Amino acid sequence: MKKLLALVLASAMTLGLCACGSADTATTTETAEVTEATETATEEVATTEVAAEEATTERTTLIVGFDAEFPPYGYMDENGDYVGFDLDLAQEVCNRLDWELVKQPIDWDAKDMELSSGAIDCIWNGFTINGREDDYTFSVPYVDNSQVYVVKAESDIKSEADLAGKVVGVQADSSALAALEDAEGKADVAATFGDLVQFADYNTGFMNLESGAIDCLALDIGVANYEIAARNGGYVILADQLASEQYGIGFLKGNTELKDQVEKVLLEMVDDGTFGKIAEQYADFGLVDSVCLGK
Amino acid sequence: MSFGVILSQLGGGMVKSIEIFVLTLLFSLPLGLFVALGRMSKLKILSGIIKIYIAIMRGTPLMLQLIVVYFAPYYVFGINISSGFRFTAVIIAFSINYAAYFAEIFRAGIQSISIGQWEAAQILGYNKAQTFFKIILPQVIQRIIPPVTNETITLVKDTSLSFVLSIAEMFTIAKQIGAREASIIPLMIAGLFYFIFNYIVAFGMDRFEKKMSYFR
Repeated sequence: MKKLLALVLASAMTLGLCACGSADTATTTETAEVTEATETATEEVATTEVAAEEATTERTTLIVGFDAEFPPYGYMDENGDYVGFDLDLAQEVCNRLDWELVKQPIDWDAKDMELSSGAIDCIWNGFTINGREDDYTFSVPYVDNSQVYVVKAESDIKSEADLAGKVVGVQADSSALAALEDAEGKADVAATFGDLVQFADYNTGFMNLESGAIDCLALDIGVANYEIAARNGGYVILADQLASEQYGIGFLKGNTELKDQVEKVLLEMVDDGTFGKIAEQYADFGLVDSVCLGK
Repeated sequence: MSFGVILSQLGGGMVKSIEIFVLTLLFSLPLGLFVALGRMSKLKILSGIIKIYIAIMRGTPLMLQLIVVYFAPYYVFGINISSGFRFTAVIIAFSINYAAYFAEIFRAGIQSISIGQWEAAQILGYNKAQTFFKIILPQVIQRIIPPVTNETITLVKDTSLSFVLSIAEMFTIAKQIGAREASIIPLMIAGLFYFIFNYIVAFGMDRFEKKMSYFR
């Protein structure tokens, strides 16, 4: 009898725990939303109050969050340093504002938590604006990007229509995936695919494509150009595109003060030609064509 | 891109992995002993709380625990997190997770010693603490070395989970080099690094086990 009672109690406790667990997550998300909302409100008040004393004097560092496996926008170079078009721009902005730039590689899936908790100040890493307008405070767009399909050069896939019944790969939480899930975008095309597989990073995606595990990879054109160049060709980009979109610097929703500071310097760099010079360093990856500022 | 450069870059990540490994062992082994003693406590409340703690630590993914430890100050208490907290959070999460596993191993070891030894020690005039540290614990340590080695080796490989908090440990670096080189080779080299490191750990534990078997 005692044992039975113990068993019942134990299972009740476990159940209670589970319930607590799920309730907790629910409340946390709720509170997170509420705090976010209140924060935006309080921030507005706070910024006006604090602006005078804190505006430019307090900030000495800029923590940029980026995916270090996203060449040519942000990646580790041969010396082990983090470089890339976006990081070079960020470095120049910080030099001019006399801030210290902290390059923080992040887990792309955790970017929202990183940003809202204040662990990073902005996401500056080929960050697509389209579809995220309501979630972040964005700078002006600085790169015109498109989402493309990459297939092996010898593949018999020549157009989007040939993808019917084929296996297509895409990065988790990426814009290409969003386009393929968008009912007004390419959801109808995605429905014809044999399967849609999600990868954590592009290297794994290309390894799958190379080994024949998937037939096609959907990704950003800049990354596609980099990967194809790094692999000495052997792949082609289809003429049919998934979507065209623009890159911007993403700040925490409501943090217009920081956005304005960074954007002002970025536009100065466009005017004096520095922006174009940095783009030229990455000309091999098609960046000169895709930047949309200073033209 | 020479092989040597890849090795030296991976070596930097390896240092981070070893830091996590050493600090986690340093905190989780003693903590595990206390947890084991609490788990065996005659106080129902204490042993009940410890049981729940162990159940949560073993029953949820370590990756989730890492995220919870790191982001809890913000999402629960509204405190903004500094980037420097990342590493601390990793050590806290790994330590409390591994302490739960170690505690159960310790408990198995302690309970495997026959009660007769306690009784004999009592007759010889040993008090409980003396009995535990002088008679029971040395035997326990010897018995639990194989399962502890298992956990320790798992810990070496688990350090790669800390990337979820953006710690640039070896596997993360290997993936980043792989992305730049568009190659799978860096991942293979990282695998070799893990293997060698674990081989050293296993070798050391084996020597330790032989040394501890003096009373057999």
